[in-house]
Amino acid sequence: MDVLIQKYFWGIDCGSSEIKVVVCDASGNIIDKRKQPTLFPLLDHVVRALKTDDDKPSPFDSSGSLKEGHIITASGYGRHHIDFASHKLTEIKAHFMGVKKHLGLKKPYTIIDIGGQDSKVITIKENNIHHFEINRKCAAGTGAFIEALAHRLKLKLNNLTTIAEKHDKEMTLNSFCTVFAEQEVIKILMSGEKVENLIHALYKSVVKRVLEMTAITTDTIVFSGGVIAYHTGLVNLFKEQLKDKEFFTVPETQYCGAYGAALYGIEENPCSPNE
Amino acid sequence: MNLKDLMKDYFLDLDAAGKDPHQKIAWCTSAGPAEILRAFGFKVYFPENHGAMLGATRTCMDTIPTANAYGYSPDICSYLTCDIGAHLKGFTPLTRAYGIQAPPKPDVLVYNTNQCKEVMHWFEFYAREFKAPVFGIHSPNLLPEIADSHIDTVYRQFKALIAMLEGICNKKLDLDNLKKTVKLSWEASGLWSEVLSHLKHKPSPLNFFDTTVLMGPIVMLRGTEQAKEFYSFLNLAVQEMIASETSSIPNEKKRIYWDGMPVWGRLKFMAELFKKNHTCIVASTYCNSWIYKDHDAADPLLSMAKNYLDIFINRNDAFKEKYIFDTVKDFAADGVIFHDSKTCPHNTNSQFNMPNRLREKGLPSLVINGDLCDLRCFSDEQSTTAIEAFLETL
Ligand code: SF4
Repeated sequence: MDVLIQKYFWGIDCGSSEIKVVVCDASGNIIDKRKQPTLFPLLDHVVRALKTDDDKPSPFDSSGSLKEGHIITASGYGRHHIDFASHKLTEIKAHFMGVKKHLGLKKPYTIIDIGGQDSKVITIKENNIHHFEINRKCAAGTGAFIEALAHRLKLKLNNLTTIAEKHDKEMTLNSFCTVFAEQEVIKILMSGEKVENLIHALYKSVVKRVLEMTAITTDTIVFSGGVIAYHTGLVNLFKEQLKDKEFFTVPETQYCGAYGAALYGIEENPCSPNE
Repeated sequence: MNLKDLMKDYFLDLDAAGKDPHQKIAWCTSAGPAEILRAFGFKVYFPENHGAMLGATRTCMDTIPTANAYGYSPDICSYLTCDIGAHLKGFTPLTRAYGIQAPPKPDVLVYNTNQCKEVMHWFEFYAREFKAPVFGIHSPNLLPEIADSHIDTVYRQFKALIAMLEGICNKKLDLDNLKKTVKLSWEASGLWSEVLSHLKHKPSPLNFFDTTVLMGPIVMLRGTEQAKEFYSFLNLAVQEMIASETSSIPNEKKRIYWDGMPVWGRLKFMAELFKKNHTCIVASTYCNSWIYKDHDAADPLLSMAKNYLDIFINRNDAFKEKYIFDTVKDFAADGVIFHDSKTCPHNTNSQFNMPNRLREKGLPSLVINGDLCDLRCFSDEQSTTAIEAFLETL
């Protein structure tokens, strides 16, 4: 008789600013999740995100070897560097798998995933990825754009939504390039404009850049990705721009990619009936 | 026959010719009338190939900024900028490859705007630098179909070119020589076309990254015996590969059509990326661009005039879209990857909504951003994610 081994499915989303980890059981129930800043050497920090000091599960034994029954799937920009992962998939598919499990939507929908370094608009039709667009080489429309300007203005990232809510005027940032946008921001501030109006304009510019990437062809929009978690103000702006659409935000957006990666591991390792 | 040796002989021969006061050198664009130049006995040098070498060796990243600083914008053809920058710096990758100090000086420069207008600015720069005569064939562009009036325009310009070359060489054009070179060109391009058609086989014996290298002789040696010999040899070799079920990509799972220029400086990286993903690029706009099926020795000038207008890059979008769609079907490709090459809009076909039109016809399509030479416009990470995500969807 086969010995029953509890299986753990680990998903890592190794992004440009954070390494997110989710661990699931074979049914896709989340057992634990954690994150770690993306620092270098990368692998040390990935391992640190997988290990915990407390009694939470870890895929490694005390000698640092991978334990039996632990399946690791890596996604995100750093996925190719995680050599101990059994499976790798792009963050596009990982987010799709996470959204699919979280929401179980049958109708066509569009995932808007604003990431630290890039943004993606993924069209789902017939329960599959039909088409996707990634923003072009520059940072416009991504978390990096927000971060660069917040840094220049010495503002805390997670305060920006509260600041933007206090705007009393509609303004537009025209610049596509982060450097030009910085110059534009400085010029606006020099002329005495309120920082609240500026941050609101900054959010609007991110929304505009994302919507420029491709035409949204579905009636339903799903938000995913780390940036939305910190900047909830963006969601309202999308809603203003995309009237008549139905909106969902996946729970804990920043973990959606890691969760999708773990689910991919389950899909690739169907359990035998006695497990 | 070894490609490396063939190319080496070609460049050493050019170098020797450049040092021989009795030997005339012509610079020509890749889709220029090389056959006419060879019929006069010119040794023909192609600056675009020099650009590709600068790109492939990534030395372009030192030479492009030199041309930018000199006044050639970073937004224009990076073959042009890297080549002009190399000239300004007194650098050539030919030194490392073959011990050659500099490309041979031109006695005449001949360009054809059937591919783009950039070549005109490029060749005019060198005409000023070397105080050499320059002749431009100004082709009617982006044609829906090739009308007799278009052919006539080019034909008359060929005649004017011939008159100019007769003055430079101080001799009349030998029509038999021209017929011979046109025939050789036609034969070599027919064989090249056959080689490319072998990529229809599943699994494919070669992929795009092989054929971008193997196309050297059809660009630089067309109209010569060597090119014909090389492609007859290659054709047999590929047939043998098929007979022995040799697969270019181990465990080929997906097949792709590539539109646009290669990213020369990341050729190896891209080749490995596709290999790792068990995907073979089986057809491309680029490698198919040097097939001159209608060259006819019986009517050399007229047939050349037609063929050089008929090249893919010089046709309108409707033609290109149909061509890509049909070729995808013919080669049983699963999708199209468009390389949106920042500095070559002419050889980029994704900018006027063609990918969406193909998607509507059921053909999965992806656009990646990059450039033929300028690696400042290319991101390894972003391209990898886009390509792998695209392959995941197929
Ligand atoms: S076709 Fe493109 S790459 Fe070739 S010379 Fe013209 S602009 Fe440059």
